[in-house]
Amino acid sequence: MITLDGEQMPWKNGMTISFLLQEIADDHPYAVVKINGRYVSRPNFDTHVIPENAEIFLIPMIAGG
Amino acid sequence: MKTFNLKEIKSLTYQRPEIQKGYANQTLCVDITSADISIKPVSDQMKQIFVGGKGFDLWLLWHAVSGTTQWTDPENTICIASGPMGGTPSYPGSGKSIVTSLSPLTGSVIDSNVGGYFGPYLKFSGFDALEINGQASREVVVYIDGVSETVTIFEAGDLPEDAYETSSVLTQHFGNEKPRGISVVSTGPGAKNSLMGCLNVTWYDPKRKRARYKQAGRGGLGTVFAHKGIKAVVARWDTVSMNSNNPADKETLKVVAKSYSREIVELDPKQNEMAKIGTTHLVPIMNDFDLLPTNNFKFGQHKMASLIGKDVYKDFFDPGFDGCWMGCTVACSHGVKDFVPLTGPYKGVKVFVDGPEYETIAGCGSNLGIFDPFTIVEINFYCDAYGLDTISVGTTMAFAMECFEMGLINESHTGGLNLNFGNRDAALELLHQVARGKGFGMVLGQGVRQMKKLFTSEFGVDAQILEDIGMESKGLEFSEYMTKESLAQQGGYGMALKGPQHDEAWLIFLDMVHNYMPTFEQKAEALHWFPMFRTWFGLCGLCKLPWNDIVPEDNKDTEEPAKVIKHMTWYAQYFGAVTGRNVVPEDLITISEAVYNFQRIFNLKMGFGTRAQDTLPYRAMGPVTEEEYDSRQERYDSQLTEKHGIDIEGKSTAEKVAALRKLREEQYEKLKDAVYERRGWTQNGIPTVKTVKRLNIDFPAVLEILKKNGVTS
Ligand code: SF4
Repeated sequence: MITLDGEQMPWKNGMTISFLLQEIADDHPYAVVKINGRYVSRPNFDTHVIPENAEIFLIPMIAGG
Repeated sequence: MKTFNLKEIKSLTYQRPEIQKGYANQTLCVDITSADISIKPVSDQMKQIFVGGKGFDLWLLWHAVSGTTQWTDPENTICIASGPMGGTPSYPGSGKSIVTSLSPLTGSVIDSNVGGYFGPYLKFSGFDALEINGQASREVVVYIDGVSETVTIFEAGDLPEDAYETSSVLTQHFGNEKPRGISVVSTGPGAKNSLMGCLNVTWYDPKRKRARYKQAGRGGLGTVFAHKGIKAVVARWDTVSMNSNNPADKETLKVVAKSYSREIVELDPKQNEMAKIGTTHLVPIMNDFDLLPTNNFKFGQHKMASLIGKDVYKDFFDPGFDGCWMGCTVACSHGVKDFVPLTGPYKGVKVFVDGPEYETIAGCGSNLGIFDPFTIVEINFYCDAYGLDTISVGTTMAFAMECFEMGLINESHTGGLNLNFGNRDAALELLHQVARGKGFGMVLGQGVRQMKKLFTSEFGVDAQILEDIGMESKGLEFSEYMTKESLAQQGGYGMALKGPQHDEAWLIFLDMVHNYMPTFEQKAEALHWFPMFRTWFGLCGLCKLPWNDIVPEDNKDTEEPAKVIKHMTWYAQYFGAVTGRNVVPEDLITISEAVYNFQRIFNLKMGFGTRAQDTLPYRAMGPVTEEEYDSRQERYDSQLTEKHGIDIEGKSTAEKVAALRKLREEQYEKLKDAVYERRGWTQNGIPTVKTVKRLNIDFPAVLEILKKNGVTS
């Protein structure tokens, strides 16, 4: 299992962030996702593999300075 | 501790007015040439049009200076104001002040926002704004004591040289029994010896029992302060509560403040964790997106960036609840305890360092090719203590380093300093030289614009390459974001009123990542809306960070997520609850538009404020050198071929650089056309008469300036 924004959902071996976003049909252009307290930015969504039991927050980041 | 003397020169006792709906309804004027202290009323028109904060500052400064006033003239005035909501303890981010003056770097109006307790304490002491003009023959301290209802000018003798100690000793001196009631504004020797001085504004940290500070960094405000002979300005106030602003509707204020505060407490840990790591989270993110300025904005990424990111500083920061105003639940003002500098006057001494924030890490770290987190903390500490703006210091030093690496300058010019990127010892030595006004530091302290002139006139360097890589616009050094791949952010920097600082518009993600504004018109709309709304925070005494650094969970499902409409609605309610002016969110834009356009016309009054000034160095738009092009060749090649249909077969890198440059420069000019039109300006970038009439700023002096510049309708 993984926890996504507080909700539990099934984990699949080798699932990437892009795969997860497709699964939940969320096409919002997230810039950053937080996995177990670490940021992963959009350029790495296709390659970053989500570990089992991960706690994930989708960050709707729009601000910078 | 060294002893010091404060000898009273003049004192005025006054009767403190009750605060009404966020206003004291009067301002304080101190002429330090004649030691004259006077109080001026605030008119209803001032409140209606200019609101407070930056609006009041600009109005006061406008009347203080003529179109020919130089920053060094006694009539140049330093204005400090918070705003009607400034000083509300429970609504996050409600303690900001704005400082304005004529800038040593730009020659025109500069404004810089800053946390700390000064603005609210000034208001609760009875003054919506403070203006200081004149020129003291000996260093002075201005003390505004709202508790005893007295304003005093002291001649200052033997106070410490730097802001670190000055803040501390004056807090102790004036706030002996209650240091939390004191806020000190001061600068340091770097401000005296350069054009990029900053002001440090304190807030007392009861947990650590020390004065902490935030900086009004941009544009050389500290330099004006030091040049006037002001050692410090101190405000004293007693207790702050929800009633202190005597809000029009306390119940609504309570409800909206509670909702906002709660949301932040709930969402910040899930989102950016600013209460733990401040703005350092931006370092790895900017690096991943190729946006972290590296080696004078040449590149946007570096393999060692993780060494200066949030994971490192999380461990550096002394844990605590660190808000620069009371009750700010974002609490992002972190610091490093017991830091021991390796160089300079504090070498080997344990100090507390306020920061570093993202801008300092990027400006004084990656942009200098320095990936040592300790060196960045040391530069941060000394910049603050010396009264120097970390952004201008970083960007100027980066420029010097690139000139050195390109062989445009050498050790004979730098006094023997090897200024290769990454040379942290040289960077620190140069910083100490800036503060002392010695050696090559004296040159660096003049900022990028003056250095470009000097390198050409004295060292015979080709002016064009300096124009291309010297990261300044309007005379102000760039803040620390890469704009090469975001046309909208190029506009955000190039068309900013005071110069390239991101407080007007930060559109990089919206433009590049979210692709929310593919057309020129959409970009122009964003370059209208965002600068206006961001201006509004500075009118009210508010910090912008809580608005969109932490966003509601359902924000992405709203029609325009970038505006964070839920928060904007709360802000409109907050404004109404304090001032009694009932507004809807979009009214906040119109309110700001008046002040924004007034500032543009103020620039015009000072001989600037037209299209010709809204320029950018080419480095901000695209690759200047072949090395830069080659480092991102795939990106640039595909843009030339796919986006612009150019056949690059057989073209050399130099030819491709030139082709891309032509296209990007044309795009930027087109963007200017679209933005000027959206803002109601002429194609020369001047507000039309119709615009100033719509915004009720058609004062005779404004119309006269427009007429002088050929604008009559
Ligand atoms: S968000 Fe940070 S900078 Fe803004 S008021 Fe709060 S603590 Fe200060």
